[in-house]
Amino acid sequence: MDGVFNALYQFQVSFSLLLLSAIGLAVIFGMMGVINLAHGEFMMLGAYITTIAGTNGAPLALAMLLGALGVGLFGAVMEIVVVRRLYGRLLDTVAATWAVGLILSQGTLILTGPSMQGISSPFGSFSVGATSYSWYRVALGLVSVALLIGLYLLFMKTKYGLRARATIQNPSIARALGVDTPRMYTITFALGSALAGLAGGLFAPTATIVPFFGVNYIVEAFVTVIVGGANALVGTPIAAALLGAVNAALGTEFGLYIGRVGLLLTTIVIIRVLPDGISGLIDRWRMRPTDSRSGR
Amino acid sequence: MRRGAALLRAENVAFVVFLAFMLVYPLTTDEFSILNTAYFMAITLMALSLAMIWGKAGILSFGQTAFFGIGGYLYGIYTLNVLGAGATWVGILVGVLAGALTAAVLGYFMFYGGVNDVFVGLTTLALTLVLQTFMAQTAGPEWTVGEARLNGYNGMYTPQISVGDIPLFGRPLYFLYLGILVGVYLLLRWLAGTRWGYGLLALQENRPRTETFGYNVRLMQVQVFALAGGVAALSGVLYASWGSYIDPSSMGLTAAITPVIYVAIGGRRSLTAAMISSMVLLKLSQSLASEAPQYALVIFGVLALLAVLFVPEGFVVAIFNALDRWIFRRPSAGERVAPSEVAADARRAG
Amino acid sequence: MRGERADVAEPIPETPLLVLKGVSKRFGGLRAVSDLDLTVGRGELRCLIGPNGAGKSTVFKLIVGFERPTTGAITFDGAEIDAWPTWRRARQGLSIKMQIPGVYPELTVEDNMRVAAQHHVRGEQMEEAIERLLARVGLSGTGHMLTKNLSHGEQQWLEIGMALSVNPKLLLLDEPTAGMGPGETEATGQLIASLNADGVTILVIEHDMALVRQIARTVTVLHLGRIFAEGTIAEIEVNPAVTDIYLGKT
Repeated sequence: MDGVFNALYQFQVSFSLLLLSAIGLAVIFGMMGVINLAHGEFMMLGAYITTIAGTNGAPLALAMLLGALGVGLFGAVMEIVVVRRLYGRLLDTVAATWAVGLILSQGTLILTGPSMQGISSPFGSFSVGATSYSWYRVALGLVSVALLIGLYLLFMKTKYGLRARATIQNPSIARALGVDTPRMYTITFALGSALAGLAGGLFAPTATIVPFFGVNYIVEAFVTVIVGGANALVGTPIAAALLGAVNAALGTEFGLYIGRVGLLLTTIVIIRVLPDGISGLIDRWRMRPTDSRSGR
Repeated sequence: MRRGAALLRAENVAFVVFLAFMLVYPLTTDEFSILNTAYFMAITLMALSLAMIWGKAGILSFGQTAFFGIGGYLYGIYTLNVLGAGATWVGILVGVLAGALTAAVLGYFMFYGGVNDVFVGLTTLALTLVLQTFMAQTAGPEWTVGEARLNGYNGMYTPQISVGDIPLFGRPLYFLYLGILVGVYLLLRWLAGTRWGYGLLALQENRPRTETFGYNVRLMQVQVFALAGGVAALSGVLYASWGSYIDPSSMGLTAAITPVIYVAIGGRRSLTAAMISSMVLLKLSQSLASEAPQYALVIFGVLALLAVLFVPEGFVVAIFNALDRWIFRRPSAGERVAPSEVAADARRAG
Repeated sequence: MRGERADVAEPIPETPLLVLKGVSKRFGGLRAVSDLDLTVGRGELRCLIGPNGAGKSTVFKLIVGFERPTTGAITFDGAEIDAWPTWRRARQGLSIKMQIPGVYPELTVEDNMRVAAQHHVRGEQMEEAIERLLARVGLSGTGHMLTKNLSHGEQQWLEIGMALSVNPKLLLLDEPTAGMGPGETEATGQLIASLNADGVTILVIEHDMALVRQIARTVTVLHLGRIFAEGTIAEIEVNPAVTDIYLGKT
């Protein structure tokens, strides 16, 4: 019984880690096809804002919200100043966002030094059998699920969501129907950035606050997006669950590093079979002709 | 006659000037600067490897450092275990082959799976970061391969390239590295001009279309990816031998971005530009590092961002193009030539 | 028969050049092509017409290998090519001009030609061959231009030149005059007819009936993924059922 609980606990820890790391990246990729390589640094920024607000007396939830808002705002500015100018130049966009990431992490290093006083993890711990577990990690799992439900409602039940889905399906038709697609891109980039900032804030109490904070999460974010594909609402959670199971199984048995190696190897094998990830597989089930072989 | 004129381009002139400078330089300076420049040449090979796949084949790898690290570590492991004259030379080969083979296997999974563009970048970056975390935890004594202790974050000791029992040092080492750098550069330029190279140029614009012209696109992608992996591994081998040392940070995020920055600033479409840009920026980064260590990377980040936004062909290539127009009076190798009147005139004449 | 099939380098004159036998292609629930039999003989100039969604472009994709048939078999020049990747079919003499110009906009016109011709023209004859082909499609003197600076019609002709440079046994043209004015269309029609006169087998998808009238001897009408009618252009034009499907009555 303890073993079963332990396995479930480890799984949900891995799941929420992968999902929260990836969801912001996936939302942006799903709509714009752009991979924001400053994603890790955005998480770092969220963690810094949350930590600074938290140590200055803001309640933790408010501090995290501030982190999300701050990074969302930064994302909107970056979309307008950098990403928009590179429309249609996918690889250049990725290189440019990476340069922004480098500026952010090195800039933070210059401004705040190599590390910062962190905030402690709330809620304490509980025991099942002889093993002690963190309530906060359980809370992260619940937040992940809540976030997914929130995103589902946002994309399915709001005007923004309708326009967003139209833009994803066919940007030029959406434009012809009066959707301001550049604005959709800015908003979506801001949303994805805010989710990165939120994830950074959520992880802040569990990690040391350093300028290279993001490096601890980007491998997880990348593999989840690669396996999940372009559909953030369906592909990303399934990928997080799949990879979370692999990670939890290997990590519990062989340690963190082997868990990470396992994530990567699983991903490499999966892309051989599913180049468009789980989202591509779902599209195929929905029986649409694929355009993956036609030129750009 | 036409061919001779075609060779007189800013890019080629720049290479000749660069080569002449590199040949004379060690005769004019001290031992430290000579060795230091050898280090630049070792790292510049990685920039060349990236320029080859990104600029000539449209594959943006963010993880050339993974092959760099594999080359360096494998060279170390081999040379620590196999002693004797010539072992270090075989070690170079072992490192290069290991890098090329890893790249070939990864390339097979990616390109035959149909993965391209940004996903290649993500997968390669994930590979290098995973290798870094993996090597970082090999500090314990159980992580030894024969005589070679991997040694986690403290780094692994590696022997230097030796002739007989005597490690190469000073000018001989410098000229060996220069020979390798120039040799690889010329090899890659030659390859880019072959039938295969033209096919790569085509497939980066349109893969399915290129396949309809009889090119085995996926195989070619795997081939060029493996080639670049081998060159990056060679870079790692020369780096490890140069400093008798390699550690996991050589595969970390900061290490991974630097070749991308150098190539983006210089110009990805030109191997010459990438090579010169990498050498200059490495020198610059070292000068900056003694004054204000953190600022070098911020400045490079800003330069790369400016390059991508405003000078997408790269600063060095932009200079080449300007020289071509003003001095050599010929249309530059790429953009912004041939207004349609030229064609109209030509058609009227023809 | 089996032994001969492996020997693809040797053309077998008495067999038709291209045979599609019982070919179907399903995209999930959608039947894009359904139980199609199509035979193109050597030296033919055949037009494939049909209303939107008839499956014409899918047929081309199946022939070049971008898509694999759900059922059925495709034989080209005596060899079963179903399992072949696109590049191998191309090397056996299958050449296509795509609907959206499949040229390389960032390369010069000359490099476009070189990329297309490399597998078929020796290095020392390359420049001369490129000159000759560019002259044939009316693009002499544009070799140094970046292809994106050509007009739309010029890009279409360049692509025909590229498709020709491989000395194709079968040339597939997917709406070769799309986006062209009447004068350009006329010139393109003459080009196609003269190529066919030189012995190139050509299969054309075309909407422009004026062009079809100008070039075609045999016309195949595709409707709902099946062959609806086949005959000379005169027969097809007086066939009331064909008119009906174009007007959406069936």
